[in-house]
Amino acid sequence: MNEYIPMQAEIVDIDVESPNTYLISLKLLDDMDFGYTPGQFVMVSVMGLGECPISITSTPTRHMLQLCIRRAGRITNGIMDSRIGDVLGIRGPYGNGFPLNEMKKDILIAGGGSGFATLRSLINYIVDRRIEFGKVAVAYGARTRQDLYFMQEYKGWQQAGIDVGITVDIGDESWKGNIGLVTSLMDKFEIYGGSAAICGPPVMINAVAAKLMKEKSFDHSDIYVSMERHMKCGVGKCEHCMIGPYHACQEGPVFTYDKVKTVL
Amino acid sequence: MKALLPRDKLLPFLTEMSHKLEVVAPVLANEEEVFCTWTGQPLAFDENPLNPPTEFLIPHRETLFRYVQESGRYTFEEEPQKSRLVLGIRPCDLRAVAVLDRIFGAYPRDSHYLHRRRSTLIAAMNCTRPKESCLCAHLGSGPEAKDEYDLLITEIGSGYLVEAGSPAGILMLSDHSEFFLNATEAQLMEKDQLMKQAEEVVKSHSDVSLQKMRDTIKMADWESLGRECLSCGGCTFICPVCHCFNIVDLGVPDGERVRCKDTCILSGFSRMTSGTNPRRTQGERMHNWYLDKFEYIPQKTGLPGCVGCGRCGRVCLAEIDRWKLEAVR
Amino acid sequence: MEKIHTTCVYCGCGCGLFLHVEGGKVVGVSPSSSHPMSQGRLCIKGWLGAEFVNHPDRLKTPLVRRGERLLKAGWEEALSTITTKFKEIRDSHGPDSLGILTSAKGTNEENYLLMKLARAGLGTNNVDHVARLCHAPTLAGLSYSFGSGAMTNPISSLAKSDAILIVGSNTTEQHPLVAFHILRGKARGAKIIVVDPRITQIADLADIRLSPRPGTDIAWINCFLNLLIQEGLMDEDFISKRTTGFDEVREAVSKYTPKAVEEITGIPAQRLTEAAIAYGSADRAAIVYAMGITQHTTGTDNVQALANLALATGNVGREGTGVYPLRGHQNVQGACDMGALPDLYSGYQRVAQARQKFEQAWLKPLPEKTGLTALEMMAAAEEGNVKGLLVVGENPMISYPDTKKIKQALLSLEFLAVCDIFPTETTELADVVLPAASFAEKDGTFTSTERRVQLVRRALPPCGECRPEWEIISDLLSRFDVPTDYTSPADVMEEIASVTPIYGGVIYDRLGTDGLQWPCPSRDHPGTGILHAEKFSIGLAKFRSVEHREPIESTDEHYPLLLTTGRSLYHFHTGTMTRRTSLLDREIPGPYVEMNPEDAKKLGVRSDQKVVVESRRGQLCMDAKLTTDVPKGTLFVPFHFNEACANVLTGQAVDPQSKIPELKVTAARVRRAD
Repeated sequence: MNEYIPMQAEIVDIDVESPNTYLISLKLLDDMDFGYTPGQFVMVSVMGLGECPISITSTPTRHMLQLCIRRAGRITNGIMDSRIGDVLGIRGPYGNGFPLNEMKKDILIAGGGSGFATLRSLINYIVDRRIEFGKVAVAYGARTRQDLYFMQEYKGWQQAGIDVGITVDIGDESWKGNIGLVTSLMDKFEIYGGSAAICGPPVMINAVAAKLMKEKSFDHSDIYVSMERHMKCGVGKCEHCMIGPYHACQEGPVFTYDKVKTVL
Repeated sequence: MKALLPRDKLLPFLTEMSHKLEVVAPVLANEEEVFCTWTGQPLAFDENPLNPPTEFLIPHRETLFRYVQESGRYTFEEEPQKSRLVLGIRPCDLRAVAVLDRIFGAYPRDSHYLHRRRSTLIAAMNCTRPKESCLCAHLGSGPEAKDEYDLLITEIGSGYLVEAGSPAGILMLSDHSEFFLNATEAQLMEKDQLMKQAEEVVKSHSDVSLQKMRDTIKMADWESLGRECLSCGGCTFICPVCHCFNIVDLGVPDGERVRCKDTCILSGFSRMTSGTNPRRTQGERMHNWYLDKFEYIPQKTGLPGCVGCGRCGRVCLAEIDRWKLEAVR
Repeated sequence: MEKIHTTCVYCGCGCGLFLHVEGGKVVGVSPSSSHPMSQGRLCIKGWLGAEFVNHPDRLKTPLVRRGERLLKAGWEEALSTITTKFKEIRDSHGPDSLGILTSAKGTNEENYLLMKLARAGLGTNNVDHVARLCHAPTLAGLSYSFGSGAMTNPISSLAKSDAILIVGSNTTEQHPLVAFHILRGKARGAKIIVVDPRITQIADLADIRLSPRPGTDIAWINCFLNLLIQEGLMDEDFISKRTTGFDEVREAVSKYTPKAVEEITGIPAQRLTEAAIAYGSADRAAIVYAMGITQHTTGTDNVQALANLALATGNVGREGTGVYPLRGHQNVQGACDMGALPDLYSGYQRVAQARQKFEQAWLKPLPEKTGLTALEMMAAAEEGNVKGLLVVGENPMISYPDTKKIKQALLSLEFLAVCDIFPTETTELADVVLPAASFAEKDGTFTSTERRVQLVRRALPPCGECRPEWEIISDLLSRFDVPTDYTSPADVMEEIASVTPIYGGVIYDRLGTDGLQWPCPSRDHPGTGILHAEKFSIGLAKFRSVEHREPIESTDEHYPLLLTTGRSLYHFHTGTMTRRTSLLDREIPGPYVEMNPEDAKKLGVRSDQKVVVESRRGQLCMDAKLTTDVPKGTLFVPFHFNEACANVLTGQAVDPQSKIPELKVTAARVRRAD
């Protein structure tokens, strides 16, 4: 069995999330089974161009496998140039995902920019298994309104009893919501001493973690960060994704804040 | 099981083995020792070849699979693996194999490596004449073989003392018993004596140990070392333990996905598509290489990630002292 | 697996390495520890040096043009088309309407056969190659002054220097093995003086660093001479016994005082003095130089200035001294040695003087008139005087200055044949494309920058229908009625040795592990390490006074910045091989311009932002990299990237003596792309 040979998945739907981001829905060919947990990722192949790691943005509690692709380099460009019916290679799921068994019942989720795609998997999982969780809040910020992902889902989250705060860095005439940092959304959340799931730029992660520890009594080992690294094999052998002694693709990409704060 | 292979029986034994599988052995090319496919040339055991034999387990370049596009989907084809006997792997390189076995054999297993590994018979060779740059004994990896082998050869006066270290090794000796004699007590003692002497020679070379290197790494001025590094990548390409690889696709719409050697010494190794680089300076990257060898690999595998072969120093373009880690210039 | 010992294909250092061959492919590379120069080392390009060989983009069949398309053809059709068209053009317009640009990456045998084809086959001396763009001034300058335009000492001699003056050479990036030996010298206590407008790695490691305004080198070199004369640090004995013409130089440099030169160059007077004394007071001092000296309209004079400095201090002919021009391609030295030049046969024998000798050797009448240089051929093509061109292993569309004019020139030709290993911007314009075998797929010799003739060995059969160029050219020679009976490149070298005194003793059997450094006039001669040790081939070395002249191109209020072009460690020239090597492509994937942060701030440019760089000839879009390594008012653009070809911006002003273009000085401006 060759771990490097991908499964094949057909693109069954493409939703435009923002000018350079698509939400792609995939169906694995040959009826392959694919179980995963929120926070895991796959290695996506465009044959002839190569492979890159993409977080799974769908929840395992629903049928469709979904990936959120943003134009960044050669391979993501290749994926963005694909059409419905085209076939991509998929390897995985890889990574540790969010440790749902260890996390507390009260959860604060904070996302910045394209990192929010990783967190959507956890959010929709919580929506589908709402009774297993306590107080849940989402704080999400993007550069401008055009850059906000999954806008059509916020209402559904709120209806499921999740506190949702959205902000942008730069507003425009049509934007009536918050302008400012993600941390500014957190004041109104009444969650203390819970678990957190954060994904975004290092500056944002540090600011959110600091606020959680200082003002919301979170412990640094209950703050989970999804780390981004250059990856090639996804199975802890090529050594590209090392963060200190850990492989982001094996012992990560979800790390507790204490493990990664020196490299952020 | 131990036996003596008389000097004049070595080539006939190898010829016999070469009928069944590819024999790789050290020979002279351009008057230098190299490992390559043996086709009857005289063998060269004076020096351990500069390029380590781990290239037969971690090739510089190998095809992971071929892809062929047909009506929207792909078929993937793999290449068959061939059986090999690699003769003349020195204890330091054997230790490197042991480290690689633990890294690639750890879950999730790398079946490519393991397939190659299982198709490879190892006839290791003890070092009776270590070089100036050899520091194996300080790191527990030589000059006598300490790790798994199929056969272990030690050159003594009357020929080659051969010891079997695995069922496959025992089979090799018993299937080809016509080449071997019983090993005498005196010959075994001669081997022990030679190995003891070799160990003393290595121990008399500069003093190094896992803990000493950890201390040196903490004290080194990495930014100064980084300024001197000429980014040739030699240390990472020549190190028998280094195994980082890159995966590239060659060919559209049909082609092959190839795995080839990579080097953490280049900034592109850890740089993300956004341009952010967790190891931005050359000093940080060198530091990371050393930490991997002396901290992370021992943590993961229980074995040091450096086998003391001294090759990195022999190819360093900036002539940095790889043990003292002092900025020379 | 097989391991074949051969010579690296990238730069003029000429490192020894093994190609690892398995399953009909080159799968790896390792260094040769016994190589006399490289001693077990390689640079990153060398370590990765064979990846491009099996790349799917390799040209595998001959191609022939049908209108807009290039279609596959057989060798017979391709070669007979070239022959017919060239003969037609020659018969209607004369032999000088044809020309050949040879390859500085081709072997010695191939270069020799190409110049033989031009002269004996086509009947023209219009043969040239890219030395025209790099060390033509070295040939002109050092040949005049020393009698030979080649590196005076072996590269390893630098490790024995007491002071090394490095001018216009980004040594650790362009000639890493030369840097290796320089740094060995430094570890022994040698003073390293680096002169470069930018802060390169070698400049960072230097003891003394000078940063002159581009194009002002004669001024500071003359100032050095002036200072050393005043300090009494001349080698009067050497000057009187081994040179002629010093008085003229002594007179001419007297006005180049540190103060005056500070005005011209921007180098502080005190720094000038410090550096001059460091060079002049050393027992053994060496001068290393590259494109920063040659690629100027005063290129030949720049080289002469350095020669004057070396002669005046007696730093020629001994271990640890000497003048080291660093040749770029792995065989540009060989291409010059083989006479792929419009005025010289092999061994630097002048066409004017040696014509009869070669007529007798080749049994053919040979043309008298000196031929055109590379850029002159381009200009003649534009004017319609050159109508047919054979370009071998060269990419003028990317490497020659003023791309717009080059394209016009190539399109004006009636017939263009191009031979290469990969498709390029130049093959795209060809009427016939010939697929060549790579360095791993043929036998032959390369001559490195230290005059070392070394074997390059065939490690695998040529891919597809490729053929080694020596075979292709032999075929063409017989089609042009030049008798050939070469069964191998060794045969060709036998002929070369018979007509080329400096290669007289070069035969394959002798090249073994260490090669041979020319001059090697006979079979029992061991080759020559240090040149000019006892005497110069011209008897006495010649001084020549040179004066500072401003570059032709100058900045003004429309184009206020000075653009200089150059290279990176990770890519080689037009990138045809390195951009197809995965780790090198990943390291530097695309074009960029280095700008000083203060200049960037004034223009509102942030790091990694897209900018447009414009000159009087064209404009390019690329990423801005802000760095203090580049002085204010200066831009640096590498020429590796065809999508932002630096030569779109450069001009064709040339040095009148050597005809090298002024690639190091272009007036430019920058603005944000958005």
